[in-house]
Amino acid sequence: MQSQALADDWKIFTYSALAVALLVWALIAVAAVRFRRTARNAEPRSQKENNPALEIGWTVAPLVFVIALFGVTYHIESDVERIAPNPDVKVAVNAYRWGWTFSYSGGPTVNGTSQAPPEMVLPIGQTVALTLTSSDVAHAFWVPDMLFKRDAIPGRVTTFDLTPSKTGTFLGRCGEFCGLDHAIMTFRMRIVSPADYRRWLALEATQ
Amino acid sequence: MSAADVADRVTPPERHDILSWITTTDHKRIGILYMGTTMLFMTVAGLLAMAIRTQLARPGQSLIGPHAYNQIFTLHGTAMIFLVIAPFGLGLANYLIPLQIGAPDMAFPRLNATSYWLFLFGGLIVFAGAATNEGAAAAGWTSYVPLSEITVSTGLGQDFWIVGLALVSVASILTSLNFVTTAFIFRAPGMTMWRLPIFTWEMIATALLIFMAFPSLTATLLLLFIDRRLGGHVFDPAFGGSAVLYQHLFWFFGHPEVYVLILPFFGIVSEIISTFSGRPMFGYTGMVLAAFAIAGLSMGVWAHHMFTTGAVNNPFFSFVSFLIAVPTGIKFFNWICTMWGGAIRYPTAMLFAVGFLVNFLVGGVTGVMVASPPVDFQAQDSYFVVAHFHYTIGGGSLFALLAALYYWWPKVYGWMLDERLGKIGFWFTFVGFNVTFMPMFFMGLFGMPRRAFTYPDAGALPGLNLTATIGSYVMFIGALIFVANVIVSARKRVPAGDNPWNANTLEWATTSPPPEHNFESLPPIRSPRPLWDLRHPRAATSGASEGS
Repeated sequence: MQSQALADDWKIFTYSALAVALLVWALIAVAAVRFRRTARNAEPRSQKENNPALEIGWTVAPLVFVIALFGVTYHIESDVERIAPNPDVKVAVNAYRWGWTFSYSGGPTVNGTSQAPPEMVLPIGQTVALTLTSSDVAHAFWVPDMLFKRDAIPGRVTTFDLTPSKTGTFLGRCGEFCGLDHAIMTFRMRIVSPADYRRWLALEATQ
Repeated sequence: MSAADVADRVTPPERHDILSWITTTDHKRIGILYMGTTMLFMTVAGLLAMAIRTQLARPGQSLIGPHAYNQIFTLHGTAMIFLVIAPFGLGLANYLIPLQIGAPDMAFPRLNATSYWLFLFGGLIVFAGAATNEGAAAAGWTSYVPLSEITVSTGLGQDFWIVGLALVSVASILTSLNFVTTAFIFRAPGMTMWRLPIFTWEMIATALLIFMAFPSLTATLLLLFIDRRLGGHVFDPAFGGSAVLYQHLFWFFGHPEVYVLILPFFGIVSEIISTFSGRPMFGYTGMVLAAFAIAGLSMGVWAHHMFTTGAVNNPFFSFVSFLIAVPTGIKFFNWICTMWGGAIRYPTAMLFAVGFLVNFLVGGVTGVMVASPPVDFQAQDSYFVVAHFHYTIGGGSLFALLAALYYWWPKVYGWMLDERLGKIGFWFTFVGFNVTFMPMFFMGLFGMPRRAFTYPDAGALPGLNLTATIGSYVMFIGALIFVANVIVSARKRVPAGDNPWNANTLEWATTSPPPEHNFESLPPIRSPRPLWDLRHPRAATSGASEGS
C-alpha cells in the first residue's frame, strides 16, 4: 500500500463528486428561480409529465459514469491491496483496550498505552508487512496522514503491506470505537531513512 | 361504496378524552400519536446532540466525561434512527395512506394500534437504560461485538437497548404489513396502482424493505441477548463464534434501514414539489421503478460498511453501491423536471423541500465517494462519514420531515402554521445545518475519528469544531422558532379549509381535519391527480377515456 494511490483515488472521486454536485445544483437553481411564480409566470407553462428519451438518457449516462468510476476504484484498490511475497520488514500489531503492541519479526517489541503511546519506527521506501490482531474488542489501525486504516478484529488476523514514502512522525490512532479511551488510543509512526532504521534496531537490541 | 352509503352511515360522536386516545384504532389518531411521539424523542435526541457539540466546541474540554459521552452519542444515534426518522415516516404513512387511496382506515386497525404501543414502549425502554446503575447503552447505535458483550459492557443499559429495539423492530414489521395490505386491497374505485400518489408508492417500497431487513435486526438482537444473558457464544471467537458475523447480520439490516430512513421522505418531497410547482410528478413511472430499484439494490450493499475489515469482497459491494447512484439520480432529475415549466410557490414547506434537494445532493455524491474502498479506508468511522450520513438523514430526511409538518399540519389540525415564522426558521435551520456539518468532511479527512469525546489541540481541528458548534446553535435557534411557531399559530388558529395549497391528491378532498371515516364522498379518480382533474374538467375527460 502506498499513500499516493489512495490520494489519487481521493482526488478522482472528489472532483467527480464536485462536478456532479455543481451540475445538479445549477439545474436546481435554474428551475427554482426561473420558474418561480411571478406576475408574468402566474400559471404553469406545461403539464407535460414524461419524456422517455430524456429519462432513458439520465438513466444510461449516470450508469456509464459509475461503471467508469468502478473501473478506477478497482484498479486503485488492487494496487493498494497488493501483498509482496518477500517484505523487507514484518511487524505484528496487537491492539487492546487501550494500547498497542508492535512486535518486529526478528527484532524488538514495543508496547504503549493511551497514557504513554508507543512509537512504530519504519524505514522509508521499504515494504512493510503488517498483521493486525486484537485481544479484546474491535479496533482499527489508522494513520490519517497515510489515508489508510484497517480493522483489528478479535479472532482474525488481518494483513496488509505498507511502503512509507515520506519521512517524519505521523499520528496514528484507533479508528474503531472501543470504549472509554478510544479517543486517546494513539500511537506514533516515525518514518526514517534505512540507515537510521538499522541504527534504531541496533539501539533497541542493546536495551 | 357510494357517497350516499358513507353519508348515511351512523357514526357515534367523536370523543377526545385521554382514554379515547389510548384505545383508539383510528389510523389518523395513531398517526398523530406516532408523529407526536417522534417529536418528543427528537427533542431529547436534539438536546443530546447539543451536549455533544458543546463538549466538542474546544479541544481537551471535560464538560462531559468519556463514559457519559459514549452514552450520549449512543442514545442520540439510536433515537434519531430508530425512534425519530424511521417512525415519523411510518406515522405519516399511517395518517396518509388511507386518505391518499380513499379508504376509511387501515386494513388491520387493532394491529395498527399494537404497533404504535410496541414502538412507544420500545423507545421508552431504550431511554430507561439511562436510569440503571451503569447508565444507558454506550456501545454506539451499531453496538458491535465484543464491545457490546457482557464481558465488556456489563451494565443493564445494553440489555434495555436490545429489548427496546426488538420491540421497535417488531412494531415496524407489523405496521409495514398493514401498509402493504391496505395499499393493495383498500384502494377506492378508480384508484389503480398506477394512480397511487408517489408517497404511498414510496411507503410500499419502504414496507417491503422492512420485511426483508428487520427480521435480521430482530434475530441479531436476540442472538446478542442470548450471548449476554443466557451464556451463548454466537459472536465470541474464543468459543468458535464470530465477531464479523455480527457485523454482517447487523448491516444486512443496517443498510436497507438507511433507505427506510429516506424513501418515505423522497415521497414527501415528491408530493410537495409537485403541488407547489403546479405540475404533475414528472416521470411518475420512472419515480416508482427507481424506488423499487433502490430498495432491491440496497439489499446487496451491506458489506460496504465493512470495507476496512479485510473480510469481505470489496469490489462486489463497491460496485452495487455505485449502482444505487443511478436510481437516486433519476429521482433528482425527475424532481427538477417537475419544477421545470411550473409556476413555483415558496411557502415554508417548499423551502424545506428545495433545502432537501440542495442538502441531500451532498449526501448523495459523498456517498459515491465512500463507496470507493480506497476513499473509505480513510473516511470509514471518521467525521467524513458522520458528515455524509448527516447530509442524508439530517439535511435530507429531517428537512423533508419539517417540510411534511408545514405541508400536512393544516390537514391534521385544521389550522395553518405561521408562514413568516416558518420561513425565518427555515433559514436558521438551513444555514445552521450546513455550518455544522460541512466542516465535518474536513475533520474526517484530517483524521478525527467519530465517537471521540475530545480531540488534540493541533492543526485545523479546533477551528473546524468550533465552527460546527456555532452552526449547531444556529440550527437550535431554528428548532426553537419552530416550537414558537406551533404555540403562536395554535393561538391564532387561522382556518385552513379543505385544500389550502391547491394540492391534487385525495387527502385534500376531505375536511381538515378529516372525519373519523375520512370521506363523505370521493371525487372520480381518473389519474394520480383527482383534484386537478376536478378543477380542469375538460383536460380530465380527454385524458381519461380509457378509464371509464
